[in-house]
Amino acid sequence: MAEKSYSVRRIPGFGAVAVFTFAMLYLPIVILVLFSFNAGPSQSVWEGFSLHWYEAAFQNRQVRDVSIRSLWLAATAASIATVLATLAALGTTRGGRFPGQTIIYALINQPLMVPEIVTGIALLIFVAAIKVQTGYTGMGYLVMAHTAFCIPFAYLPIRARLETLDAALESAAADLYASPVQAFVHITLPLLVPGIVAGFMLGFVISLDTVVITEFVKSAGQDTLPTYMLGQLRRTVTPEMNAIATLFLALSLLIVTAFFLVTRTRGR
Amino acid sequence: MRGPLIRGNGWKWLLCAPALTVLLLAASGPLLIVLVYSFLSPGNMGGVVWEFSTEGWFRVFFRRDIFEPDLVTLNHAHLTVFWRSIWLSFQTTLICALLGFPTAWFIATRPPNTRTVWLFLITIPFWTNLLIRTFAIQEVIRNNGTINTVLLRLGVIDSPIQMMFTDFAVLLGMAYVFLPLMVLPLYAAMDKMDFRLVEAGYDLYASRLMVLWHVILPQVKPGFIAGSILVFIPAIGAYVTPRVLGGGRTMMLGNLIALQFGQGRNWPLGAALAMLMLIVVVGALIVYLRALGRMEGERRG
Amino acid sequence: MDATDKGEIHIAGVNKVFGQGASAFHALTGIDLTIATGEFFTLLGPSGCGKTTLLRVIAGFEQPTSGSLRINGAEMAGLGPNRRPVNTVFQSYALFPHMTVAQNIGFGLKMLGKSRSEIEATTSDMLRLVRMEALAERRPSEISGGQQQRVALARALAPRPRVLLLDEPLSALDLKLRKEMQSELKRLQTETGITFVFVTHDQEEALTMSDRIAVMSAGRILQLGAPTDIYNAPVNRFVADFIGETNFLVLPVAQTGGAVARLTLPGGNCAEARLPEGMTPVTGTTVTAVIRPEQAAIVAPETGDLTARVESAVFFGTDTHLHLTLADGQPFVLRRQNRPDQQPPEPGAMLGLSLASGALRVLED
Repeated sequence: MAEKSYSVRRIPGFGAVAVFTFAMLYLPIVILVLFSFNAGPSQSVWEGFSLHWYEAAFQNRQVRDVSIRSLWLAATAASIATVLATLAALGTTRGGRFPGQTIIYALINQPLMVPEIVTGIALLIFVAAIKVQTGYTGMGYLVMAHTAFCIPFAYLPIRARLETLDAALESAAADLYASPVQAFVHITLPLLVPGIVAGFMLGFVISLDTVVITEFVKSAGQDTLPTYMLGQLRRTVTPEMNAIATLFLALSLLIVTAFFLVTRTRGR
Repeated sequence: MRGPLIRGNGWKWLLCAPALTVLLLAASGPLLIVLVYSFLSPGNMGGVVWEFSTEGWFRVFFRRDIFEPDLVTLNHAHLTVFWRSIWLSFQTTLICALLGFPTAWFIATRPPNTRTVWLFLITIPFWTNLLIRTFAIQEVIRNNGTINTVLLRLGVIDSPIQMMFTDFAVLLGMAYVFLPLMVLPLYAAMDKMDFRLVEAGYDLYASRLMVLWHVILPQVKPGFIAGSILVFIPAIGAYVTPRVLGGGRTMMLGNLIALQFGQGRNWPLGAALAMLMLIVVVGALIVYLRALGRMEGERRG
Repeated sequence: MDATDKGEIHIAGVNKVFGQGASAFHALTGIDLTIATGEFFTLLGPSGCGKTTLLRVIAGFEQPTSGSLRINGAEMAGLGPNRRPVNTVFQSYALFPHMTVAQNIGFGLKMLGKSRSEIEATTSDMLRLVRMEALAERRPSEISGGQQQRVALARALAPRPRVLLLDEPLSALDLKLRKEMQSELKRLQTETGITFVFVTHDQEEALTMSDRIAVMSAGRILQLGAPTDIYNAPVNRFVADFIGETNFLVLPVAQTGGAVARLTLPGGNCAEARLPEGMTPVTGTTVTAVIRPEQAAIVAPETGDLTARVESAVFFGTDTHLHLTLADGQPFVLRRQNRPDQQPPEPGAMLGLSLASGALRVLED
């Protein structure tokens, strides 16, 4: 009955375009996932179901190495970024506006506005100079670069959470004999946890996805999963690549779903 | 924490200091170095020689004859790349807007419980790896990819259509990758929209097209502008998508910059090109902020 | 200790200025106030009058720009809110959303380092006091607004403060619940014997609950006194206008003598009006006098103090408001209690008015 009535929200043709858009968004990904289970070496001709390529991916030592490096890097950078972003969020949302706030906002959001390729070559130049001076070629550069890149992403949900937090709660705690430290530990921090978790997850996903910055900062033997894949795409690829991509995709999906759930239960 | 723990605003800076240090070291600081490098002379095997020179910036637009350095001509190779970058980014924005508007409308008009699901479906690609999505497109349009295989099997074509390494491939890839960035702000604008105004429009004898043009579009304009900026800026800065789908002949500005730090090895030129990209991006942002300010002024006036 | 120190709260010469220079805002100016132990004291005024700022100064959320604040004889300057023997019931309640009702109530005692058994005992006492025993394990989001209000009260009372500060605690409740909570608050205050400092913009709330009221405007205390004093003897136009309804009449002075003046009423009759302390108006000048709408009675035309024409009658249930015009054109509102055998007068009818003795007062300004 409702469908027959004149709906002001319906515009003819829009539904069809929307369905086409969703199909266009998901079809390539579905094909990619589908052919990771292909028995044969082709990525377009189906030759039966097999987990063969997953086996191959797991046995590929290089894939194992770059995956572990990617996860380690994401966990490290996201952790540091979350701590720093939490402190910065506390500094910028507590106690009203102050001189210099705009500069801090601009600095924090800068990685979001500058194209990755520009940041990438900027870091390449900077890191090259330090390498010449110090001779250090470890993972420190990547950790630093990824941390800086993750900070704005971790900062956003934490600040959003802090802004919705009723300032009267901290006043109430102080009124009930809590010292500033006690008020933070018992009131602010527990209420901030969903924001912090969301910030960490965003940072983690962003670090996992980052390819351009890693490409320009990494030293020899410091490939991450994305830069490894970027290198492999030049060659003729087998469904092993599909298998790797599918696993990677599954991980991202898991984190994004968790992120959605965490941010949706924030009402409590 | 209203207690005067530390007088004044010092404690705020103190809390921000660790994050700012990392950002200055690994984001803002290096940008300044790029600016400095763009005014130095190139070294033999990459790197720079610490001599002031505007040659890097000069070579962005011009070239010198190898035998007669005073013979200066426009650098057509570079200009072609600039033009392609801007033109492809513009087309990408347009395609995203044309597909994104109906899609955002579709999501915004779902019942609230299913709306979350559709929104989630748009958000997933946004958070999944850009490289993987580019790889997925590559799989579809390769010479022995899905489209060509299907068309060959059906007998529609005799030999594969060459789609990879063309402007079309880059355009398709960028539209595919950046589409969620258009849908999300459009959806946000529509979500805030007052649907009673649409009803009022119909009530006052407007046709669907007239309502769309006079009532809906003005209300979602901020979403359009935000979405266009969100698509245009990463499109101008694109590196991965043109590298994977476009190859050497359909280079964009990002790839041209990277080239100067690889085989081309002219760091000052690369630095100048990077600064040029930054200028374009900041320019686009300023245009956006101006438009935003103007719209707010209109609303107040 | 001098005599003024006997009060629970002693405020002397407190000023509070926000900002500096040209943009400075004087939130409190020259506040002198002594609140007695066990008193139900109300700060009353329109929004922006400084009442909440004064409350925040007492609580310790704001430091006064100058002046002194003593609670139970001890100087409070420089002490944070966590080191003052006062607790606050916040306007928004500010219940901790991640804690249960019982945990909320026990929070203050926990911060004071009390033993677990003491916290549990006091918490259940408090739950009983506000009749919330059944909901002890609920979260604030799972109980109603009125219940949240009770929890906020119990939480603030649990540490047994010397003074309880209440910042418009009833403003978020609907009318019926508000009436209930008014008597509940009064009961709690009598039972606990704690000094209550109550902030409100609702004059009726202030009149019904308080022992004493301070009427504030623009950062100053205009009048301080018992509800009846403030209602019957407002010192100036602002207080007269803010508390209850009032008729303002501009009248010439016929004669002065002591604490009263004879004023010439429209129509020629004279009436005695009380003068504020220290005011002796010159005969022949005009003054502003006030009279409450219920302090005049209808009599036969030409027999009372005043003659008035009826403009309109508005029915209010318990009483009817008659909008009248006096002989010289000044408006006058009269409130008459309704009786079933009474019909409201028709517009245009002429009435005689008799003023209750002592009802007419001259204002300072």
